[in-house]
Amino acid sequence: MSAAFVSEPATPQGRLGIEVQALQFAYNDAPVLVDINLNVAEGEFVCLLGPSGCGKTTLLRLIAGLDLPATGAIFCNGSAIQGPSLERGVVFQNYSLFPWLTLAQNIELALSKSHPQHDKHWRHKYAEDCLARVGLAESASQYPSLLSGGMQQRGAIARALALGSPVLLMDEPFGALDPINRAKLQDVVLEVWAKPRKTVVFVTHDVEEALYLADRVVMLGSSPGRIIQEIVVPFGRPRSRQLFKSREFGVLCERIDEHFREDILQRIEADSGIDAYREVN
Amino acid sequence: MAAFGSETNLAVSSTLSAAAQLPTTNRTRPRSPDFPLPKALRIQGKEGILFIAGIILLWQFVSTAIHFSGKYLFPSPVLTARTLWASLPELLLGTGYSFLILLPSLVFAILLGVAWGLVVGTTPALNRMFSPFARFASPVPPTIYIPYAIALLPTFRTAAGFVVFIGVFWPVFLNTANGAGALPQHYRDNARILGLEKTEYLRRVVFPATLPYIFSGISVGLVFAFIMLTVAELFGASNGLGRFVQLYADYADYPRMVAGILYTGVVVWISMEVLERIKKRALFWLK
Repeated sequence: MSAAFVSEPATPQGRLGIEVQALQFAYNDAPVLVDINLNVAEGEFVCLLGPSGCGKTTLLRLIAGLDLPATGAIFCNGSAIQGPSLERGVVFQNYSLFPWLTLAQNIELALSKSHPQHDKHWRHKYAEDCLARVGLAESASQYPSLLSGGMQQRGAIARALALGSPVLLMDEPFGALDPINRAKLQDVVLEVWAKPRKTVVFVTHDVEEALYLADRVVMLGSSPGRIIQEIVVPFGRPRSRQLFKSREFGVLCERIDEHFREDILQRIEADSGIDAYREVN
Repeated sequence: MAAFGSETNLAVSSTLSAAAQLPTTNRTRPRSPDFPLPKALRIQGKEGILFIAGIILLWQFVSTAIHFSGKYLFPSPVLTARTLWASLPELLLGTGYSFLILLPSLVFAILLGVAWGLVVGTTPALNRMFSPFARFASPVPPTIYIPYAIALLPTFRTAAGFVVFIGVFWPVFLNTANGAGALPQHYRDNARILGLEKTEYLRRVVFPATLPYIFSGISVGLVFAFIMLTVAELFGASNGLGRFVQLYADYADYPRMVAGILYTGVVVWISMEVLERIKKRALFWLK
């Protein structure tokens, strides 16, 4: 590995934000995730990258506490995860907002749990502030169904922002968006991540998106889901889209693709090996 | 976290829940017809009125044709309309009496059916406890309770109120419980992420998400309410819409009786229209 791919630790303290230890998860006896060990430093931006069905969404749900692992444990800021917590905000691919509430009401509902000490008036003001930060100042009283997919995702990000969670989990939040909105929202995410600095775990199947956003890319292979490689992204910040044209970026993309190809090849060989063994017996 | 329970389906095979289907869309998109009407009949949006006009014409024709057997057994539309107009004060008063029984029972049955349906639909243990009973009790045709209710309860009002309640409660409860049990996973996930407590979860998430099912239940329940009430009134009321029809049948005053039937139809139709308006307003967020 060349020196170019080594970067400084994400935070000077290097404290652990999320720690996944020897995690296994099965769904109806079919293994979905095996032997997952993953450390995310406090304030680090990590992308989980992998093809559909590799269990990256499952891993994110486990970190969120929406599902519980069969074996192994997940720690967030030192304590084991027992269920969902306001400490970890989540943005889903879509459907993060309740369609019967306006954008502001959606955020106010979130605030009623995360900031119970404040009154309604304060919550409404704060909801408007959060919406303004993601460029939705004008749409506070709109219902989600009247908004575009991009605006709905901005709303979902605003809600996560309002919760003030130190950890932000995002499950392919821009998977359904067109390239232009996608690019805009990637920058919104980077901005939200930076101040105040949060730990982010971001699930995507888009290599360029992962490299543009992350400090570190964790590659997951499928059947069953497992970590095949971790790559520290060597690019400094702030990043611009000029990055996509650089030779280094191209090389890194190529390297990631190569890892996935190799993994698929190994899987196929392993499977046919088993078949051959069965035929002999 | 087991706090919200898991999706459970109250599998009650009954005609009451068969009507419980999510309204697929609120938009009415003009669609080119598969079988266009002949050009002479093609008046945009007037097909329904034309059909009713046809029925009235047929009615007029038949009543004229069988005139000899006594116009009072099969009154013509004109005679019925005249009688209806003359009986209107009496009918309006009857509507008032009927609604005095209907509305409190309807409201109470809806409140209880929705509340209990939401709780049972989201709590697997309660669902296991209650659904065998519901499976047994809900398909019993509620009209069958009427004679006993009248015998058992002190006044006609309480008896009629009780049977209306039974008729409304089951469809509302079953639809609500099914809807709450079939709550989309992403709503649950979101509620859990936000850390909502059970009561808040029921009030702010499950209830609005289940509203399409609840309205299906209320639509069925409202029809049942009118059936129950008018049938009960046939048995033993001293006033009300069903009583009006029964009274003039006893006196063989068939023009009045037919007028009463028509008038009752209009009242039910208007009630359904009002419900439809409320539903459209409440479900504005459905795409």
